[in-house]
Amino acid sequence: MEFLTHFNQQITKTIIIMKNIYKKFGIALAFSSVLLTATSCETSSSYEDELPSIANIAVSNDAFSTLEAAAINGGVAGVLSNSNPNDASGDYTVFAPNNSAFARLGLDESTLGVLQTPFLTNTLLYHVSNGNLPSSAIAADGTSASALGGLTRRFINRDGSLFINGSKIIATDITAENGTVHVIDKVMIATGGNVVESAIALQSASVFKTPELSYLVEAVVFAGLADALSNPAAKFTVFAPNDQAFINLGAALGLTFDEPSDVRMIDKDLLTAVLLNHVFADTSKDSFTSELNAGSYDALGDDNIRLGAYNNGVLTVSGSGNGTPANMVIPDVQTTNGIVHVIDQVLLPVL
Amino acid sequence: MKINLKLLGGMLFMLPLTMAAQSPISGFMKAKGEGSITVTQSREDYNDVFLVPNKVNSVPVFNEVTTKSVSLYAEYGFSDRLNFVVSLPYIQTTGEATPATLANNGFENERSGFQDVSIYGKYKIKSYEIMSGNLDIIGALGVETPLGNYNVDEGLQSIIAIGNRSTDITGLAIANYKHNSGFFAIGQLGYSLRSNEVPNAVISELKLGYAASVIYGDIYIANQLSGSDGVDILGEGFTGFFPATQVNYTRIGANMFVPIVKGFGLTAGINTYIEGRNLGDSTGAYSGISYSF
Repeated sequence: MEFLTHFNQQITKTIIIMKNIYKKFGIALAFSSVLLTATSCETSSSYEDELPSIANIAVSNDAFSTLEAAAINGGVAGVLSNSNPNDASGDYTVFAPNNSAFARLGLDESTLGVLQTPFLTNTLLYHVSNGNLPSSAIAADGTSASALGGLTRRFINRDGSLFINGSKIIATDITAENGTVHVIDKVMIATGGNVVESAIALQSASVFKTPELSYLVEAVVFAGLADALSNPAAKFTVFAPNDQAFINLGAALGLTFDEPSDVRMIDKDLLTAVLLNHVFADTSKDSFTSELNAGSYDALGDDNIRLGAYNNGVLTVSGSGNGTPANMVIPDVQTTNGIVHVIDQVLLPVL
Repeated sequence: MKINLKLLGGMLFMLPLTMAAQSPISGFMKAKGEGSITVTQSREDYNDVFLVPNKVNSVPVFNEVTTKSVSLYAEYGFSDRLNFVVSLPYIQTTGEATPATLANNGFENERSGFQDVSIYGKYKIKSYEIMSGNLDIIGALGVETPLGNYNVDEGLQSIIAIGNRSTDITGLAIANYKHNSGFFAIGQLGYSLRSNEVPNAVISELKLGYAASVIYGDIYIANQLSGSDGVDILGEGFTGFFPATQVNYTRIGANMFVPIVKGFGLTAGINTYIEGRNLGDSTGAYSGISYSF
């Protein structure tokens, strides 16, 4: 054994020496110097100790291939190649969603095109902040302003793990030439508008190229709740049924919903009551999934909202009339007056 | 052994056509009134890219890139001491970006066209008979400029641009030692002044080979060190304009040539990179036919 160890060390030494010779002079130089003393050679030694840029990290790492495609599509690859002109340090901090994070939303390199490019760009900027924010400087209950118009993200401690908004920070302090990268397990979404404006953004195809939440927007307008849900002083926690949820509800009620205005077939008072059951009664604090636990919560309506166990970043949601609980399809959408979790069923009271 | 230089001339001058991997001119001279015309086709592929600090295993956006070219190469001996060399490549690059990626970014998977025409003058300064052989000292000066109207400013689309749209003026010093047995060694060292934000570069090459009347073969190592005023892809100063990048490389390859009949000959070669900065780690091969007169 000792002999083998010694032998290995010798080989390692020899390799290192050869590598150094190669690095120093280059194979080509060794050859070329026979005839041309002045020749020099490209070797990696001159830059292998250099740090990659943030953009280079995304490109170099297979786990970030969707982020790479998003950064190219969203036009921020060049920005994140360079030092930050908006910060004295020249650095950025990026909370980088890995491929699994994008896959939660059905997004990968081939499906990113479902998103409108301006929305994609804004979403990426929401993951970026000016200056270095090392993990040692991140504390639960703190906040950090993003490069998206200064919209803030908040840090949350859940069971000893650190989260930014609803996204778990799963790796920290990857050092880049122009800043720091932390890896997160969910894409963060901020709309820059209030709850109603955010729903309208989806409905008007400003987020996805195909409209979403169209029935919900129609229902909120029909029920006359738009003003209330636009209250800038509130901090709503909203569970927003997607279009398929409303279409399924229509079928369950024996109705056929072909277009959003068909929700007006539902009795207005009943619809209003149902919608109010999608918002936490407590509007003094909005909640990301990272801040939610299993249990029963008062709704603005008469029913309660029941949450299932927190599982891998999402919770199931049900009203007292749901046979099976709804699942979150787009959790943790940050708006200016609350947090919206898009779900796949309408929450029903006992009808 | 006597070397049939007239026949050799045909291939010796088309070799550089493999995408700037080799020095733009050979180290052999043609006699007065002699010349050659050569047509080659080549293909190179890469999916690894030499970025700084590390090589990545997939080309951004395009995943994998194939470069095909057809090149015309002509050389003529104005006198025993002065030769002229002209080359013109037509290049097609093809990427493997997914349809979704192409649609999202408005990109295309192909770029093609005539690239850069180059004209070199080559002058034999001195010739010595030494060590059972012959040593030629040659000086060369040339200009290379875009002929086609290809684009280089299409952002990341230009990852598969066919050239740099740079006009280069290159000077080369060449030492060619031929042993009487047919073995030879050629060293080249030069400097290239380049426009369109392309950093100037030091280029060098060492070639070892054997040339006889029935066959020619060589192996070479070629190197480019580009000015440090160039930027790194995805590094500080990178704006998506690829000509401005600092492109360094060390490339190795082999060429061979076989005379067939009546001045015609066939040639083929292979080449690959062993080290690089800001370029694809491509491996390629070419074949061609030449006519010498």
